[in-house]
Amino acid sequence: MKYDFLDTDVLARLGAIPLESRFPMVGNVAGRHRSPHRGSSVEFAEYRKYVPGDDTRRLDWKAYARSDRYYIKEFEADTNLRAYFVIDTSGSMDFTSGENPSKIDFAKKIAATLSYLIVNQGDSAGLSCCSEKLHLEIPPSRRAAQLQHIFETLKDIEPTGETGLVHALHQIAEKTQQRALVIILSDLFVETEKLADALQHLRFRKHDIAMFHLLDPQEVDFHFERPHRFVDLEDGSVVVAEPNLIVDEYHEALREFLETVETKCHNVHADYHLLQTNANYEKVVSDFITSRLTKKS
Amino acid sequence: MNFLVPAALIGLFAAAIPVIIHLLNRRRFRTIKWAATSFLLKASRESRGKKRLKHILILACRTLAIAALIFAVARPLIGNWLGWGGGSVETVVLVLDRSASMETREGDGSPSRREAVVNRIADAIKNMGSPRLVLIDSASGEIQDVPSPDVLPELTSTQATDTQADIPVLITKAIDYLQETKPGKSEIWVASDLQRSDWRPDDSRWLAIQSGIEALPTKTSLRILASGSEISPNYSLELLASRRIEDDLLLDLKISRSKGQSETSIPLTISLMGARSTDPERVTISGQELRLQKRIPLGEIKESGYGWVGLQTDNNPRDNAVFFAFGEKEPVYSWLVTEDPSSEVAGYLQRSAAPTGFDRFSCEIVSPVQTTKINWSTASLIIWQAPLPTGAVASQMAEFVKSGGSAIFYPPEEPSTEAILGMSWGPVINAPDDEFFINGVWTRDDGPWQDGQTGTPLPVKELRSIKRRSIQGDAATLAEWDDKSPLLVRQIDGAGTAIFVGTLPDDRWSNMEYTALHLVANQRMIQLGTDRLHAGYRAIAGSEKSQTQDEEIRSRLDSFEDYEPSLGPYRSGVYRLGERTVAVNRPNSEGDLERVNEESLDKLLEDTPYSLFEDTKTKDDLISEAWKAFLVAVLLFMLAEAILCLQPRPSVAPVTNPSPAS
Repeated sequence: MKYDFLDTDVLARLGAIPLESRFPMVGNVAGRHRSPHRGSSVEFAEYRKYVPGDDTRRLDWKAYARSDRYYIKEFEADTNLRAYFVIDTSGSMDFTSGENPSKIDFAKKIAATLSYLIVNQGDSAGLSCCSEKLHLEIPPSRRAAQLQHIFETLKDIEPTGETGLVHALHQIAEKTQQRALVIILSDLFVETEKLADALQHLRFRKHDIAMFHLLDPQEVDFHFERPHRFVDLEDGSVVVAEPNLIVDEYHEALREFLETVETKCHNVHADYHLLQTNANYEKVVSDFITSRLTKKS
Repeated sequence: MNFLVPAALIGLFAAAIPVIIHLLNRRRFRTIKWAATSFLLKASRESRGKKRLKHILILACRTLAIAALIFAVARPLIGNWLGWGGGSVETVVLVLDRSASMETREGDGSPSRREAVVNRIADAIKNMGSPRLVLIDSASGEIQDVPSPDVLPELTSTQATDTQADIPVLITKAIDYLQETKPGKSEIWVASDLQRSDWRPDDSRWLAIQSGIEALPTKTSLRILASGSEISPNYSLELLASRRIEDDLLLDLKISRSKGQSETSIPLTISLMGARSTDPERVTISGQELRLQKRIPLGEIKESGYGWVGLQTDNNPRDNAVFFAFGEKEPVYSWLVTEDPSSEVAGYLQRSAAPTGFDRFSCEIVSPVQTTKINWSTASLIIWQAPLPTGAVASQMAEFVKSGGSAIFYPPEEPSTEAILGMSWGPVINAPDDEFFINGVWTRDDGPWQDGQTGTPLPVKELRSIKRRSIQGDAATLAEWDDKSPLLVRQIDGAGTAIFVGTLPDDRWSNMEYTALHLVANQRMIQLGTDRLHAGYRAIAGSEKSQTQDEEIRSRLDSFEDYEPSLGPYRSGVYRLGERTVAVNRPNSEGDLERVNEESLDKLLEDTPYSLFEDTKTKDDLISEAWKAFLVAVLLFMLAEAILCLQPRPSVAPVTNPSPAS
């Protein structure tokens, strides 16, 4: 295939499962997702009292017969989904510990697969790549050419510099007026308080947030045999350390960070997923889609 | 600490291997691009302290384990005896004090100080890998190669004697030996009970010893193994004087005890001509010592005889008996030391000591530089008309007087600035023209100028002097000049007496030759020296007089103990030496309990490094191999290292089961 982050077999297997939004979406065309607006549809929503001006054709005569009161029968108004993929393209996402894919590659696979599924089920997909120096944005679209656009963009992404994730999230929250599913793929090596503010901002705009927190297995295990000279991928700073001496403290710091991030995500009802890059991405995507079916509110 | 295989200590450099590996590892770090630097920085900040300490401890354990292994291979020797030194010893020169005081035991059945120290030294030498052992014993003073430490306790040269030791002389011999043979790394070991009379701290040779050790070709350690720091309960018997009075023999005895003050009755056995008294007389002692006079009826014995007086066996079997011998006629030896042997006054003094016609009396004239000729052990009187002696001669003179000899000092012509026995000569004083110095008062009932047996006074009042030397010092004045300055002074030291006379029997000094006062004084001093020493028949163990001379053959007359021919010259007893009969006794100074302390040793060996090991009752070896201890240390360090390394595994990573569904 042209894009090494796409696997047709995986796409074929996952194509049968629809991706749902957990919250009502506001779309511009009819779709399979719930809308906050009431309208005509096959799926009953609620009764409400008739008020002058209502379309009399929507009166429920059977209810009038039973209660002698006028009720309007409301149905769910289905609409399409806008999905925004926000990929952290800072230097730290380029880290890989050998055989496992780098975090950016893993993020590309997830983003590409999900965007394919979303567009194929008639929803819109957009992409935002953010780093300190680069902020690429592809507005959501449901056209077939959108996939090509997204894939080409993903293909060309080169992680560099410090992260611009927080800034990008604030921008998306400000610019995207309609509700959307914001899927974030990052290692979240940012200040947790600023990240929490950005997530809060998104949630305030009623966006559905899905967080893929990506870490390399070596970043988690921190297993090294000898002293190492660690060169920061983002700012190039150097730390010389003997990992076997500090492994406990490292794990403690990481644990504290992960707990904080998870708590912050739960506070904004974000769909948080902590992943290591040695995981099977098909299963990751599959589980993500499936879990959303059950979480649909 | 010394080592049997010191070359192995080079391996100690290997102890640095863990540190070097650690440092190399630190330098051989790998470079890795890393994302989670913030955690790394935080962890680095927090990991200091305990972790670093633990890491240092692990490194220290590894280093120490290697060092201990190297030490074990080098076969270390431990023990206070050798202290911390380093390197193996090729030659040990052992100076062994075999004096009578070394025969003291701590109790019944325990070995004597000499036996204990010899055994311990033998063990120590074996543990040191049997370096060459050279023995210099205090009795013979001979240098002897000991083929094996095993035979050391069996050698004749390490057996008990009744002699006195001269430690400075022995150490000097050891230094001379090392100077001549120039062996490799050597040590001088001195095994002694530090008895002051043996160590002679006033001896001028100590200075030469210091410079001698300093001048040795290789650095030589001096180690002193001191035994007898604790005083054992013991009674000792000394013979102060023996003289024959008509048909009786009069013995002046002294019984001393080292401990106890209570009144105690002890038996005194007397043996005369081999016949032992069947019913020992008991004497009662209270306090530290008892002086008594024992009169032994000689009965039918008209000419010569011998015998002994003994106490019961106690903690020192060598000081329980004294031996005596007597005869009708005894030779009397006097020595005149004069600054001018050919002078008139020398003749007067010689004739006064050995009058013409008295064959038993002899007086040999020597100059101050010929004093080595003097046979101190047989002399009854030393007449000294010369500047007072110094150095070794002064020590010999003091020892002579202390042991019962008589000395009479006449003023020298030459100035004399030295002092002896606390006395010294002042300046020469001349009488004013046409005047004399005359006698003021004198003691008529005591001293060399006491009245005769019939009560006739000596012509002291007729003494006229135009020249005199003042006598300085604290002593008893027996006669004074008319201006109250001393004319005749007596100084008693130990068992002997020294007399100082203020003028000379010389016309340029006085008319003493005319009054013959010098003759009376000299003869009375000879009698005193002879009576008290009984010199003709008495000798000190180990002295020249106790040895066989020319073709004399030794045989033992008394039956106090079994005769061991090889030890004869150094043991007390009554011996027939050719035609002579000599009662040999241990030196009285051996009963002296005074020891040289560490402070005195520091002064004696001021510039010489030495180590002092006080031998106690403990049975520990002087030195022993410690490689086992070091191997145990290796194991302990390795165990400690393992325990430190086996601390709980690093904490589990916070994410162990990555699953998006979590």
